[in-house]
Amino acid sequence: MIPYLLTLVIFIPLAAALLMAFVPAGKTGVFKYVALLTGILQLIVSAAMYGLFDGHGAGITDEQGYQFVNHIPWIRLDLGSLGQLEIDYFVGIDGLSLPLLFLTALVMVIAVGASWNVVKSAKGYFILLMILNMAVMGVFGALDFFLFYIFYELMLLPLYFLIGIWGGPRREYAAIKFFLYTLFGSVFMLLVIVGLYFSVTNPETGAHTFNMLHMMNPDNYVPGAIFSIGANHELVGISARLLGFIVLFVAFAIKVPIVPLHTWLPDAHVEAPTPISIILAGILLKVGGYGILRICAGIFPDAARESAWWLGLIGVVSILYGALVALAQRDLKRMIAYSSVSHMGFVLLGIASLTAEGISGALFQMISHGFLSAALFFLVGVVYDRVHDRDIYHFRGLANVMPRYTVFVAIAFFASLGLPGFSAFIGEAFVIIGAFNAESVNGMIPRWMALAGSLGILLSAAYFLWTLQRMFFGQTRLKGGDSWAAALTDASARETTLLVPMLVLALALGVYPALAFDKINASVVALVELIGGK
Amino acid sequence: MLSTVLTYPVLAALTAVALPLLAFLLSAALGRRARSGSIAVASISLSLVAAAYVFGQVWNQESIRVQWEWFTVGSHRFLVGLTLDNLSAMMLLLVCVIAWPVHVYSVAYMKGDSGIHRYWAYLSLFCFAMLGLVIADNLLLMYIFWELVGFASYLLIGFWFTKESAVQANKKAFLVNRIGDLGFLIGIALVYSHLGTLDTEALTATPETFPATWHTVAGLAFFLGAMAKSAQFPLHVWLPDAMEGPTAVSSLIHAATMVAAGVFLLARIHPLFDGNTLMVIAVTGTVTALVAACFALTQYDIKKILAFSTISQLGFMMVGIGIGLFPVALFHLATHAFFKCLLFLCAGAVIHQMHHVAESQQHEIDPQDIRNMGGLRRHMPVTFATMLIASLALAGFPFTSGYLSKDALIVHTFEWAALQSGFAKVIPYLLLAVSALTSFYILRLLAKVFFGSFRVGLKDTSMLHEAPLSMRIPMVFLAACSLFPLFSMHPLNDGHVWLMQGLTTTVSSLPPLRLLHLAVPVLTTLATCVSAMMAWRWYVSSRYPLKTDSLPYRWSYNQGYLNPFYEWVIVRPLLRLSHFLFWMDLRIVDGIVNGLASLGRSLAAAASWMDMRIVDGLVRLSGKVAWWLGNLFRRLQTGRVQHYFTTVFLIILVILIYHIVVLL
Amino acid sequence: MIPLTHFLIVSACLFAIGLYAVLSRRNAIMVLVGIELMINASILNLVAFGRYDKTLYGGQVFALFAIVLAAAAVAVALAIILNVYKFYKSVNPEDINHLKD
Repeated sequence: MIPYLLTLVIFIPLAAALLMAFVPAGKTGVFKYVALLTGILQLIVSAAMYGLFDGHGAGITDEQGYQFVNHIPWIRLDLGSLGQLEIDYFVGIDGLSLPLLFLTALVMVIAVGASWNVVKSAKGYFILLMILNMAVMGVFGALDFFLFYIFYELMLLPLYFLIGIWGGPRREYAAIKFFLYTLFGSVFMLLVIVGLYFSVTNPETGAHTFNMLHMMNPDNYVPGAIFSIGANHELVGISARLLGFIVLFVAFAIKVPIVPLHTWLPDAHVEAPTPISIILAGILLKVGGYGILRICAGIFPDAARESAWWLGLIGVVSILYGALVALAQRDLKRMIAYSSVSHMGFVLLGIASLTAEGISGALFQMISHGFLSAALFFLVGVVYDRVHDRDIYHFRGLANVMPRYTVFVAIAFFASLGLPGFSAFIGEAFVIIGAFNAESVNGMIPRWMALAGSLGILLSAAYFLWTLQRMFFGQTRLKGGDSWAAALTDASARETTLLVPMLVLALALGVYPALAFDKINASVVALVELIGGK
Repeated sequence: MLSTVLTYPVLAALTAVALPLLAFLLSAALGRRARSGSIAVASISLSLVAAAYVFGQVWNQESIRVQWEWFTVGSHRFLVGLTLDNLSAMMLLLVCVIAWPVHVYSVAYMKGDSGIHRYWAYLSLFCFAMLGLVIADNLLLMYIFWELVGFASYLLIGFWFTKESAVQANKKAFLVNRIGDLGFLIGIALVYSHLGTLDTEALTATPETFPATWHTVAGLAFFLGAMAKSAQFPLHVWLPDAMEGPTAVSSLIHAATMVAAGVFLLARIHPLFDGNTLMVIAVTGTVTALVAACFALTQYDIKKILAFSTISQLGFMMVGIGIGLFPVALFHLATHAFFKCLLFLCAGAVIHQMHHVAESQQHEIDPQDIRNMGGLRRHMPVTFATMLIASLALAGFPFTSGYLSKDALIVHTFEWAALQSGFAKVIPYLLLAVSALTSFYILRLLAKVFFGSFRVGLKDTSMLHEAPLSMRIPMVFLAACSLFPLFSMHPLNDGHVWLMQGLTTTVSSLPPLRLLHLAVPVLTTLATCVSAMMAWRWYVSSRYPLKTDSLPYRWSYNQGYLNPFYEWVIVRPLLRLSHFLFWMDLRIVDGIVNGLASLGRSLAAAASWMDMRIVDGLVRLSGKVAWWLGNLFRRLQTGRVQHYFTTVFLIILVILIYHIVVLL
Repeated sequence: MIPLTHFLIVSACLFAIGLYAVLSRRNAIMVLVGIELMINASILNLVAFGRYDKTLYGGQVFALFAIVLAAAAVAVALAIILNVYKFYKSVNPEDINHLKD
């Protein structure tokens, strides 16, 4: 049973979706509860996996180091002169993907909880949600590049519909923008996948393979192939490996998102319904970071070393730009969307440092941001559900009207801006420590980048505190007057039940970071060794 | 090598820190039911007992270190632990000793406030954070408590959150403190990078491990942190605004403990500072002391006067650090804690009474405005007496504790300056000048509040009465601590101060200048007496010679126009930049994306046009051609036989001619 | 003897006249006349060439056939013309154009 836990976690939602497909569309209650049950089941299984995971297993390049591995030959096709096509169902977990897997399960439960009041077409909604769930779990678990790509593309389709049908006023624009933008990136990824396929052979069978672990090992490359290390092929004037790295990086960077490839995010987040914003911010952005770590840095470590300076610069720009633009927002959801851009900039800065502290910090920041942004979007949804308005300038003194909600908002805001005692601080602190360290350890990024990035901490305090002061403190003055005051009931039991675990987890991770660091450290150290940092 | 042995002092220290945390959690859980504050008071009382025990066990004994595993990143193990040496034991006790009277005082002061349950919770949270800060053994842990202290301060400044000025003030306080936190974090990163450890015991830097520029930068970064937290110029702007919080809060946090955290940090990591950093610290401290004292001269909000006084005294402490003698700075910190806390508590008592007055009046009067007060010594004798003692301590009058600490500071600064060159030589003289200013502004306050006659016209002055017992007891206690016996047997000579003697173990001493030990106190006492006379003349006898609209007066009153300066030079440009970037994001960056989309759509339209008109056009053209040809040949079918004959004949003719020509 | 070409020229002229009559007369009977002329021209040709076949008298025989055929053709044609006249009320070939497109 235990070896199949990962496959179980990935495919439970698919089973749920199939089950839901046979239920007639009218019974909304069935869909909600099946979805919730699925989510809780996934949460339990992934928590079990988290507990059972041995923190000493490093993974990265070594299949033995991965845990919960399922490696089943899937497609074996003899293509004549092109050789044998080998695609395996190869899934496994190491320190990089384990926390993200758990995060996904948790955020999915929260999202289902936030979807409790879906009215329009609940059947379609929950089926799409389950497919999305499966796809994201698959992305984190997949270790065969073809399988990874399938899951990666599979994520886009349900999201397109979920945003486009259940979203806000400009939902069609947002949905198609998101879909095409992300697809643009991943289409070129396919080229690189094929290039890698032809460059790498499986040491056991001698056939070309999509196996990511084999791609990380320089010995497996066919001499003279396009992405092989010694051959130094050039395409359009730059090294083929660097080009491959850049293409893959762009694909994932769109998802992170980095500035200037981020403009899909505000529209998608704002127009998407609350649960979908939660999933987008909580999980999808992490797919980008994960991809950069696992694939870009894992398969092209030499190119990663070459590009570290640029990655650092992009990270710093994202941090500062995202924070400054967030400061200028009127729409609460848009402000949180831009704050996500800023926080993910820290992730990129941490990765760019190529130090153990930096990458650990980046991973920790991803985990922490997952919980906290889910909490933040959920909190926005609370107000929006009641009065259908999110404009910061339309609310004043909400603390008098909704005291318990204000407490949650204050905790979530302070946690997000990096107050120590919460997880975001640990992530950001280690990113900065790693970035500072980089100059003395591996010379990848200069110190001014770390200094500039740390300004982001100040700016995030600025916009969060401004919003807190503006919307919650002071005398109560609402645009909708008394009708709004009546509608703005305090946080309900359901909302409280959903919020508390996220904030508690943020606190737990902030106070005892070993909960996460113990599991990820071995993998991070192995990854840093692979890249050749220190 | 980790020591995890839980000896009694360690347990006591942990208890002292944990109790306020438990009190916070309990108060938060109980919500509105925890109105009486008994949980908070009980917890701080027990913490005080524990801290006293720790002090007794640790002072001048061997220091104790306990550490536990926290987490591992890369190959570095981060530990969480506590260190109990003279410095931390003293601070632990000091914080508890100051917090306890404030708690007792708050019972009466905050009585009837609708949010009092939050007050107790936040106060406990603050105590937890502050106590944790002083015993933390590594920089990361210190940083965590450092920011938590700032967070508690945020909550307490904005306690009356429906008041617009309060919520602006707490936002400002947190943001300015964040600037300092950035510095602290950068310092941590640099120390980690170069020394490989964050342990406060292991901060010895050598040129091999710590290249000179980065060494100075790290020192300055930590100083930036201390600057913000301890309100040094120019990051002091949050402290006057922080007076929006309840006065008891101001007394605890913004006078005695939180703002002292910066000084404490610098004392803790003093081995890390090189000469350049220390000079910067000393200069900044001097400038702060001078500028803040100037600002205090013209304020008429009683709490603002005290706030600037705090800033000024913190400047003194920084000078103490800057000259390399952190025991002197810490001694001043300790004495200042007592008398400044007392000053605020007394001010609170006065404000409390003025509130009653304000309620009885027709038009609005500001209960904190000293121009509305006067002659209160007759109505509030105990308050007057304690405030007088505190003021004298602040001014450095003999027989008070403040005299000892200020004397020590100034004398040692002279000794230090003797070894320096250039600008540094001026510093001690500036400190003397500040001393004089200090006497003046505090005696001005006393004169306006307690002497003369009450300036608000009252039908019945019996509403002005002494503060209740639960407020008086803490005040008297603190007054007693502001006199010399607590700190030294000898009232006039700072050589016997046990506190400094306990802390002076690791710091080098400067060549003493014996004469100064006489000259300086005489000068300061003289200045105090002159100030008293001037204050009496100007404020009690109302013979005020200066013009209130002169430039120096206005500069002082408007706090050097620093706030508008920051507003116009930093805040507004930042917001404008924000809005510009947003516009750019929407129109340019997204514009490019949308532009690409439009480009795609136009390409699609062009392709569609081409498909419809050209490709399909060719197809339809061939059809048209066929039709046209057909139409052409239709004309041959005339239905007339003779035409058909003609055609046949012509064709045969052509064939014949062809054959004849070809065959020939 | 009369040279062959004289016969051929006469017959050619006769044929041409007959062709002209067929192509340009506005009366169907005149068209028939023209056809007759063309047939007679061909008969003349046959007779002229008959000189070269003294054993089987092919030319003479074929000429007799042709005379008979001409007569038959005229008979049928006249019958057709009578019927056409009954329908179209005219013997002008230009008027009989109902098969035009």
